[in-house]
Formats: sequence, C-alpha cells, structure tokens
Amino acid sequence: MSTGGVAAAMSWRNADFQFAPGTPLILKNFSLEIRPGEFFLLLGPSGCGKTTVMNIQAGFEQVVRGEVLADARAVRGPGRDRAVVFQDSDSLYSWLTALENVEFPLRVAGIAKRERREQAHKALRMVGLETHEHKYPSELSGGMKQRTQLARALVLDSPILLMDEPFAALDAQTRTILQDDLVRISMRTKRTILFITHDIAEAITLADRIGVMTAGPESAIKEIFEVTLPRPRRRGSPAFGELYDRIQAILADEVQRALRREDSL
Amino acid sequence: MPQRFVSEQVLSRPAVVMPRPISPRWCALAAGSASIAAFVLLWQLASMREATILFPGPLATIHAAVVLLREGVLSQDVLISLMRIGVGFIAGVAVGVPLGLAMGAFRPIRIFFEPYIQFFRFVPAIAWLIPAILWFGIGELSKIFLIFYTTIFLVLLNTMIGVSSVRRNQMRAAQCFGANAWQRYVWVVLPATMPYVLTGMRLAMGNSFAAVVGAELIASERGIGFLIVDSWMWLAADRMFAGMLTLGLLGVLADYLFQALSRLCARRYLMRG
Repeated sequence: MSTGGVAAAMSWRNADFQFAPGTPLILKNFSLEIRPGEFFLLLGPSGCGKTTVMNIQAGFEQVVRGEVLADARAVRGPGRDRAVVFQDSDSLYSWLTALENVEFPLRVAGIAKRERREQAHKALRMVGLETHEHKYPSELSGGMKQRTQLARALVLDSPILLMDEPFAALDAQTRTILQDDLVRISMRTKRTILFITHDIAEAITLADRIGVMTAGPESAIKEIFEVTLPRPRRRGSPAFGELYDRIQAILADEVQRALRREDSL
Repeated sequence: MPQRFVSEQVLSRPAVVMPRPISPRWCALAAGSASIAAFVLLWQLASMREATILFPGPLATIHAAVVLLREGVLSQDVLISLMRIGVGFIAGVAVGVPLGLAMGAFRPIRIFFEPYIQFFRFVPAIAWLIPAILWFGIGELSKIFLIFYTTIFLVLLNTMIGVSSVRRNQMRAAQCFGANAWQRYVWVVLPATMPYVLTGMRLAMGNSFAAVVGAELIASERGIGFLIVDSWMWLAADRMFAGMLTLGLLGVLADYLFQALSRLCARRYLMRG
C-alpha cells in the first residue's frame, strides 16, 4: 500500500478506532496510503466503517491507536486543507443562496467581498450552476444541491477532497452526469480525492485505485485494485465487467463472512 | 385517397376547449368568506335562542362596538392594551432570546437556569396577578410584568431548542472551512435558530393577547380586558362581546402583521433546507 517513494497525501498506519471505551473496534490495524492527485475510491459492505474512515480523515473523529496523516501532518481536527462533500445536502446553509453558500468558506477566510464573489462565480461555473446562483437550497434539485456542495468544497483550493457517498441519493441519470463532471473537475484541479461509495460501478467509473474494506467490526483494507481502464469508462466494456465481477466476488465473500459471524454470536 | 395516420386524424379534430381552472387564490378567498358567513349565521341563530342581554348576536355586538368607537372608549382601550402588550412582549423577547441562545449554546448556563424555567413555565401568568400588584402596584408595571412573564418562556424555550437543533453537518462544514467558535456561532447557529425564535415570538404574541385580559382584570381603569370585565359587571353583554371581538380581531391582525414582517425582513431564514 505504499505510494512508491512519493509522500502520501493521506496516510493511515495501523489505526484502531472505537466510538467509546469498552465498545468493539470499528477499525483495526487500518493502513492505507493515498498518492497526491489520486482519485481513491473506498468500497465496502454496509456498516463496515467507510463513513468512519472519512470522518477520521476529516478530523471529526480521532483514532485510539496508530496515526492518520494528511500531507504528512497528523490529523487532529477539521481544517481547510481537507474539504468535505457530505452525503446529505443538509450541510448547505438553508438561509444562504447557492452563491452565498459557495462564498461562505472565503468569508470565513477573511477574503474581501469582491474577490470572494469572483471566486464563487468561477466555482459555480465549474460545476455548471451559474444560472441558479441566486436560488436557495430549498429551490434546488438534489443534483444541484450536490453541485453546490462540490463548488463550495472546490472554492477553497484545499489539496484534499473528501466525499462521502455524495451521489447516493440521486437518480441514476443525474448520478452519471455528476460522475462525468467530477472526473473532468478532478483532472482539471489535480486534487487528491477520497470518495466513499457502496456502488462498484461508480467506483470503477471514477477511480484511479479502489480499496475494498473487510466487513465490520474490526475492518481493514482487504485489497486494492489499480484501475487502468481508459476514460471515459462505460459499463458495457468487457474489462469493466471483469473488474466489476472481481470486486463483487470479494464483497460477496465479505458479506457472507459477516453473516456467519452474526449467526455464531 | 392517401391513407391518413391516426395522429393526423386526431390532430385534425377540433380542439376541445377545457374550462379555465379557478385560481387557488380565488378558491381560498371563497372558502374563507364562506367560513366567516357560516360562523356569523350560526352565531345569529344561536343568539336568537337566548335573551339578547345574555347572548348578543353579531348585529348587536357590532352596534355596541360602533357606539363604543363613537364614544372614543374602544380606541382608547385598544391603544392602552396594545401599549401594554407591546412593552411586555418586547421586554420578554429582549430577555428570552439572549437567554435562550446562551442556554442552548453553553451547558453550564443551561444547567443553572433550566430547573427554574421548567418550574415557572407551568405557573400561569394569572397566578401572578395578585403578587404582581403587591410588588409593582396597580400601575402599568404589574400589567406589563404579566405580559413579559407570558412571553419569556415561549421565546426562551423555542430559542434554546433552535440552538440545539442546528444540523451537525452544517457545523462540521463550518469547521472544515476553518471557522472559529465565534464565527460558527454568529454565522451558523444564529441564522439556523431564527425560524425557532420567530415561532416562539409568534406563539408568545398570541398568548400576550390572552394574558392582557387577565392583567387588566383587576386594578385597572382602561384597556380591552377592563372593558370586557367592566361590561360584564354592568350586564352589558353586547359591550363585552364587542371587547372580545376587538381582542380577537386585533390578535389576528397582529399575527398577520407579524407573519408579513417576518416574510419581508427574515424570508431567507424561513427557507427550509
């Protein structure tokens, strides 16, 4: 799981995590290295702790053992170096328009109004939302809300982008469009992206590498797949299907293992 | 003769003119008017079963209101009651909102004040009528105190609930942007709490109109509450009903104005996520 000599953008070393002392370990000996500029997808069975990994990397939770690094610095709490796109669009501020939401991080950073408006416009253009910038979140569709979240995460120029199943609640058509947009944006902005999903096809469509987690509790990385398929990737190709089947087999195996463990308890 | 497609046949038919749907606004107006007319009719019918002196009908009530207006009594009573409601309500909001914000955000403050809030909110304003007169005298202060007492708990509790209902992801997002505790409080907690504050104020305003009657019940010489009680003492039920009707109408008007002002000044805070 090494990054081949290059300093990792995100790094996990033998990390353990539990929600409270005396409760089961959610993650055990979790180790992972994500390369700078890489689009890394984390896949795993339901309840294996994917979102926990993102929460720890974002600084919302702390590991109880081992270390978690972002750009070679220990993660001690949330910070501007790691932008987050949440699964639910409820992180958007309902009293601010799309433009004002995207401006918010710049306002916190103390950037002058004129400049922050310019940067927010640019970010909204990047996600194709410039014609809806004066709408409030309640006036936007699910896809538009996620685009607004993405624009807000992009506007700060954070080197790391953490995305927790951002397209899970969207319809298939909107999801495909947003996936294509995200690939385009990631290639253009060269961010390091950690993207959590439970959708194998989404993982293959987006990822440079895919990490498959074991079933919880005491989850860890089971296997990492390098995805070398040319972009844009479409489900119909034989190579896509072959990779899909390999990952599916591992996931099915993990789900079976989890069920057997539950039965034995 | 060339064959015609089904679609051509359909298109060549004369268009069926559908009746224009009635606009929802007209529907609402018609339903509202019908509701009022039905109420007035029922009131009139019910009053005809009793003596006018005990149960005046709508016409007798409106006539009494016109007489009271001509005498200058009603307008003076309305102004005095509105003044008492206004001062007591504003004082209740001025104390309730900051205290609710502090209690919602800081646990020690919440732990300190919560037992008293929980205890006193179950003691109705009317129970404080006599102590208020003993402490503050028969002047304006005792009446304003009762309105203040009625307002503060509703505003405070709603504000406190609002602060604790801020969405976790909104706070987490602000943390990711590097917002410090003060910025999170001012830019996230306060705006997110606004709908709760406004709801508390609206509920408290309604209760203030109810409390003013109690406040003016004794040791008062003016106000709508006094008008209602004084009319009853003289068995002038039509004047009493006129006072009650005025109070209700003023409450509805105040609520309408409050909502209109909220939409005008705080529309963005009333947007759902």
